[in-house]
This record gives sequence, structure tokens and C-alpha cells, in this order.
Amino acid sequence: MMLKIRNLQKNFDDLEVLKDINIDVDEGEVVCIIGPSGSGKSTLLRCINQLEIPTAGDIEYKGKSVTGGEIKLRDFREEVGMVFQRFNLFPMKTVLGNVTLAPVLTKHKNKKEAEEKAMELLRKVGLENKASAMPAMLSGGQQQRVAIARALAMEPQALLFDEPTSALDPELVGEVLNVMKELAKEGMTMVVVTHEMAFARDVSDKVIFMDDGYVVEEGTPHEVLENPKEERTKAFLSRFLNS
Amino acid sequence: MDLSFLNVLLPMLFQGLKVTLYIAVVGILLGFLLGAVTGFVLQTNCRILKAIAGVYIWIIRATPLIVQALYVYYVVPKLIGVDLSSNTAGIIVITVNSGAFIAEIVRGALEGIDPGQREAGLSLGLTPTQTMFHIIIPPAFRSMLPALFNQFIISVKDTALLSVIVVNEITKQIQNYAAISFRTIEAYTTGAVFYLVLISILIILQKLVEHKIRG
Ligand SMILES: Nc1ncnc2c1ncn2[C@@H]1O[C@H](COP(=O)(O)OP(=O)(O)OP(=O)(O)O)[C@@H](O)[C@H]1O
Ligand SMILES: [Mg+2]
Repeated sequence: MMLKIRNLQKNFDDLEVLKDINIDVDEGEVVCIIGPSGSGKSTLLRCINQLEIPTAGDIEYKGKSVTGGEIKLRDFREEVGMVFQRFNLFPMKTVLGNVTLAPVLTKHKNKKEAEEKAMELLRKVGLENKASAMPAMLSGGQQQRVAIARALAMEPQALLFDEPTSALDPELVGEVLNVMKELAKEGMTMVVVTHEMAFARDVSDKVIFMDDGYVVEEGTPHEVLENPKEERTKAFLSRFLNS
Repeated sequence: MDLSFLNVLLPMLFQGLKVTLYIAVVGILLGFLLGAVTGFVLQTNCRILKAIAGVYIWIIRATPLIVQALYVYYVVPKLIGVDLSSNTAGIIVITVNSGAFIAEIVRGALEGIDPGQREAGLSLGLTPTQTMFHIIIPPAFRSMLPALFNQFIISVKDTALLSVIVVNEITKQIQNYAAISFRTIEAYTTGAVFYLVLISILIILQKLVEHKIRG
């Protein structure tokens, strides 16, 4: 088991956002999380890599408690990368600079090794000709692919994606999803918050439907997306497909 | 028109310019250090430090610069028992005064950086310190340059008030010349034009900096 989330709770003051979340993610698994706006999906991902400190509960990574400090936070974050909805590229650095920054600063690689690796990753996401461009010169889809390359540069064991295509123009969604499909094929462990139902259906091993701070239903894409058992899942999916 | 008075006045003004720029440049550099620390403190969560920073900014903003200058020159030496030269007192005043305003500039610039930048840094395994220095400070510094330059221009003008504590900057030189020559009209008119040219040059430089950052 790669990630084990038990009884996770998160409150913002009086607001209970995550109420009792239990999730398992196996190595090599692609888990898609769906659910209505405000159900706590982003908060869950942010709690996993500790950008938000959980109010209660436990997160284990490969048998070591992250919340209990059995693995150092920085080591954990190096192994579990994150891709954000709004890319969050570093605006004053070139594409190459974005991708090499962390491996060099964390002393995983010297500059030359990091650059070689970065070029390899940029090739993989189809952007090797943009290495010296500044982020602002790129389209949203290109920026998100750079962000994925940047996360991969730390050679993570797993990646968390928070709605990676929601900020993109529709015609740019495909290029990002294709990169993600490629990663899935290579066996990367991924937790993906998404509204892309086709991606969830075709790529994921497990779909989790969240609502109101709980995991309402989980199962294979076939089970959850095509034959949902819970009323709330059915209502969400029908609203979703009709909109 | 007889402009021969300029033979005496202009050298005095350039002498004053040296002092003005010396105090303004050293003052703004030290003020930047003080302001950077204060501004950083303002957006942390440490209540005590924030309170200290707040009181400092409040005192500076709520008292006239001329009173601050008189206080530093005449009162502080008595309180701590050391003599301060006019120039040293002048540098302290400009430092402490500009520092309070720069603190707000720094705070604003740091707060203006998208929180997603910090999160991206942390999620890549950087330490909070690395994230601060490599990811947040470079764009924050860049975005605050125009405001810093503006504060520098304000500080250059503020040095005129240091004439009250006998700093021989431009204004003091104008007064000196007027006193010895009785040519009040010539002294103050030339002095005003001198400031006009000086500050205009700085404003043009500021526009260039701004343009460079935008461009
Ligand atoms: N830092 C915060 N402080 C206070 N409330 C927060 C904070 N972050 C999130 N919330 C609240 O927590 C709830 C869940 O937010 P979250 O962003 O996790 O939802 P989501 O499922 O990701 O929604 P969306 O699909 O719109 O992205 C919302 O009501 C939100 O307002
Ligand atoms: Mg969200």
C-alpha cells in the first residue's frame, strides 16, 4: 500500500470540510476523485501533502505515518509530487529553470545532470523546443505540461493532481490528459481530482465520489460511473452529464 | 542679468548635493534592510514581533519628519550618552523614516505573490527558507522596485528638512548663501531650480526602471 488515509478530518475554524475520509492507494494505481464543488476534494489533496495540516486522522506513506512524523515532511513531499489547477510555474524562471530548480536545490542532482534530466522530461511532455521560453509565453496547456515535467523532475513515487485541466481552454485539455495517460501507462501512482469523466472512466483503476466531506462511494469506474449505488452519486452524475 | 553670483552659489549647491545624495543613498539602503526585516515580520504569525513592528511604523507615520530629526539629533544623544554628528543623525533619521514606509512596500509585495508559488515550492520538497529566497523574494523584489525608487525620491526631498540639524545638504547651503550674501531671491530661486532638475532626473530614472520591469 502506498498511501493509506484513515479517519482524516479537516476543519477551518467552525467549518468541517473533511469529516471522516478513508482512502487506500496502491502502488501503480490511478485514483480519480470526483464530486461537487465545495465537497473538499482540494482540501483532501492539500492535507495529503500537508499544505494544510489535518485536524485529525492519519496519513501513511508506505507504512510510515506522515502525520505522526515517521517520515520527514520534506522527504515525503519529494516522493509525492503535486500538480495544481493553476500550474503555479515560477514566472521569473525559464521553462528549464522551473524544471531544474528543485532537483538542484534539494541536491538530488548537480546542475548538468538536472538539465539533462529536464530536457528528457520536456521531450516527454512535448516541449523540448520551449526549454528557454518564459512561462508567460506559453499557452495554459503548455504551462501545465511544464508543471508536470517539473513535478516529475524530483522522480516522485506518486503524483497528486488537483483539477489539472480545469483552468484550460477546452481545446487544450487533451494535450494535458494525454501526458497523464502516458504516465498512467508507465505505472505512475496518481491521485487525480477531476471533472473529466471520460478520463476517469478510461484511465483510472478506482473512482471515488466525495460529497460534503465524506467518501460517499468508491469502486471501479464501471461501478461508480455507470452503476452508482448511492443516490447522491446518481444525482451528481446526472447533473453532471446534463450540464 | 548678472549671473556672477552663481560662481559662488553653484559650487556650494554641488557640495550640498554630495551630502544630500550620501545621506539619502546610505539612508535608503539601511532603510531597505530595516524595512525588509520589518515587512517580513508583518506577514508572519509572530504576534510580539508584529506588535513591535506595528508600533515602530505607527510612531514614524504619526510624527513629522522634522520632529524625528530634532529628536534624534538633540534628545537621543542625551538619553544614550553619545555624541552624534549631524550627518550620522541625518542618516539615522532617513533610515528609520524610510524603513517604516519600505516595510509597508515589502509587506505589500510579499502579500502580492500568489500563495500558489509558495505551495509549488513546498510541494517540490524545498524548505520554507529555500522557498522564500528562491521563489518568493525574486518576483517580490522586482515588483517593489518602482515603489522603492519612489521612496528614494521622497527621501532625497526629505533630506532638505535635515537643515534644521545643521546637515550641510542642499537646502542648508542655500540658506548659508542667502545669509552671507543677502541675495535671498537669487539663492532660493536657484536652489528651487536645482532641486527641480535633480528630482526630475530621478523621476526619469524611475520611469526607466518601471519600463524595464514592465517590458
Ligand atoms: N483555507 C481555507 N479557509 C477556510 N475555508 C476553506 C479553506 N479552504 C477551503 N475552504 C472551504 O472548504 C470547503 C471545501 O473546499 P475545497 O476547495 O476542498 O472544495 P473542492 O471540492 O475542491 O471544490 P472545487 O470543485 O470547487 O474545487 C469550501 O467550503 C471552502 O470554502
Ligand atoms: Mg478544488
